[in-house]
Amino acid sequence: MRPCGVFDKSYAQDIAIVRTWQHWTILISALIVLYLFPLFGSYYLTSFMNLLAISVIAVLGLQIVSGYCGQISFGQAAFMAIGAYTSSVLTIHFGVSFWLALPLSGIVAGAVGIIGGAPSLRIKGMYLAMATIAIHFVVIWLILHLDITGSFKGLYPPYPSVGGFEFDTDERMYYIIMTVMVIMTYAARNLMRTKVGRAFVAIRDNDLAGEVMGVNLYHYKLLAFFIACFYAGIAGSLWAHLITVVNAEQFTLLHALEYVGMLIIGGMGSIPGVFFGVLFIRILNEAVMFTSPALAKSLPWLGTSPAAALGLIAFGLAVIIFLIFEPRGLAHRWEIFKASYRLYPFAY
Amino acid sequence: MIGFLQQAVTGLMVGSLYALVGASIVLVYKSTHVVSLAHGQLVAFGALFFWLFFGGLGLPAWISLVPAFVLTALIGILIERLALRPLIGQPLFAAFLMTFAIFIALEGVFVLYLKGGSRSLPAFLPAGNLTVHGLSIPINQLISFFVAVLLFVSLSLVFKLTKVGLGMRATAEDHRLAQSVGVSVRNIFSYIWILSSLVAAVGGIATANVMDVYYMLPYIGINGLIVAICGGLDSLLGAFIAGLLLGVVENVGAGYLDPLVGGGVKDVVAYVALLLILLIRPYGLFGLVRIERI
Repeated sequence: MRPCGVFDKSYAQDIAIVRTWQHWTILISALIVLYLFPLFGSYYLTSFMNLLAISVIAVLGLQIVSGYCGQISFGQAAFMAIGAYTSSVLTIHFGVSFWLALPLSGIVAGAVGIIGGAPSLRIKGMYLAMATIAIHFVVIWLILHLDITGSFKGLYPPYPSVGGFEFDTDERMYYIIMTVMVIMTYAARNLMRTKVGRAFVAIRDNDLAGEVMGVNLYHYKLLAFFIACFYAGIAGSLWAHLITVVNAEQFTLLHALEYVGMLIIGGMGSIPGVFFGVLFIRILNEAVMFTSPALAKSLPWLGTSPAAALGLIAFGLAVIIFLIFEPRGLAHRWEIFKASYRLYPFAY
Repeated sequence: MIGFLQQAVTGLMVGSLYALVGASIVLVYKSTHVVSLAHGQLVAFGALFFWLFFGGLGLPAWISLVPAFVLTALIGILIERLALRPLIGQPLFAAFLMTFAIFIALEGVFVLYLKGGSRSLPAFLPAGNLTVHGLSIPINQLISFFVAVLLFVSLSLVFKLTKVGLGMRATAEDHRLAQSVGVSVRNIFSYIWILSSLVAAVGGIATANVMDVYYMLPYIGINGLIVAICGGLDSLLGAFIAGLLLGVVENVGAGYLDPLVGGGVKDVVAYVALLLILLIRPYGLFGLVRIERI
């Protein structure tokens, strides 16, 4: 989407992600603000941004496999768990440094994801969603019953460090997490203008037609699952070293459903949509957390700590409302806004 | 051998509960082609409403069944009217996602009501064990087993013999064709949701009979979904058989494998079974194979 009077003169311009000098200015200043944020943002906001960024990475993976490739997956939380545990086990039991464990945990989660994605070759839609729910429970069960994962007690991975400098506060971890998030976002955005991305979209729109046109379903569906679970693994690893406590309670089915909800609210098939969805749900959650003590005081029948339950209700209602009134998500609103900006001062 | 049989019989009793939940999901799928994750909540609310009137208010069991059924059916109708009807004409997958959103919202209400505690139903079915050739069967579970069988037989008869049942089958085949021969598809949807909520409520009350009403109860809906898929989503008989099979496999598997891996097999057997069924027979044991065209 370009403003009036801007035309592409070459193919490279046409497929460029950042198109005009205005885009560059916005992008660079946004990056500067992002990296300077801990200097002027409060500790609470910085921690909040960390959680946002980790969710963004996980939902980006989900966007690739569900939004672009059309294979809905309720297993993202389980694959995050695999990443978190891989990273923890590697750093605790094998003394691997965080910097190596981070990509490795992505690769391990991706490899398990290929096994998890195997049913997608025979089934799709709702059946596949159920298969991924089954995979979620099997993975969590294995985590709880293996010795190396510390079963119910969980693991305590160390903070990352480089040359004696420990990333032991949320503000220090912020820089690692944001850097990874920026790289992952760029990679996802770029993937979608390559042959692989186009193959994913072809599979989503009509897999039979795609196959007839020469898209190797076997290859690309598994690739989509690998990439999605790689993202989940990276997110899990970052989570593990940020919180430094990992247990199975942090990766329940409700978390996986929450990621799918973020995807629906943000809009399927759009990278900015991921950010909108994550932001919307997280802010909704914080708002509920914030207001629930007052609510509990004025309405005693709610009990003493209704925050978790109210959060579920708010989240469920938000997804219901979006499915009915804006099934294309916030990303669609964003597109409408961009179109009107592009055409200004004309109506169409 | 007697140990195996004992586990199998216990499994059959549990399996009949799964079969009931599975049947409520199959009912909805059969006529609307919507796969519902929300039925776990209908099961839980059925049990909760029964507890409210029976355990909470102290009404006799047979009287408290009535408001429990009515209220659960009301939730079913509300789900259909407010959430699923606006989605008619959209991809079926949106409806599936809708049921998962409903599941979460109702889960919130459920958790909010329980406040982290649990409610246990006072016994309302005769206690004691029936012993046949060394196998002991709890009588209350035997009764709920027979209720399940009775319900399945009567549901099949409704589908086969009555005019409404014929309308339901016609709606399942093709909405527009059904409308063109005078079937009110909207009414059929409402009837179906009422019927399936009632079945779910029976399942919930029968489940609450053997376990507490607590925050994990809605997740029996996932077991119900597994049963429905394994049996074939459009087959009531399939749901019944798959439900019983799942109960038996769970119990027998747990009995034999628990000592080997150190416990907890029961929690995961259902999911492994689902994965295997989906890989070997994606359309379930008795489901119709759909042929796709571009």
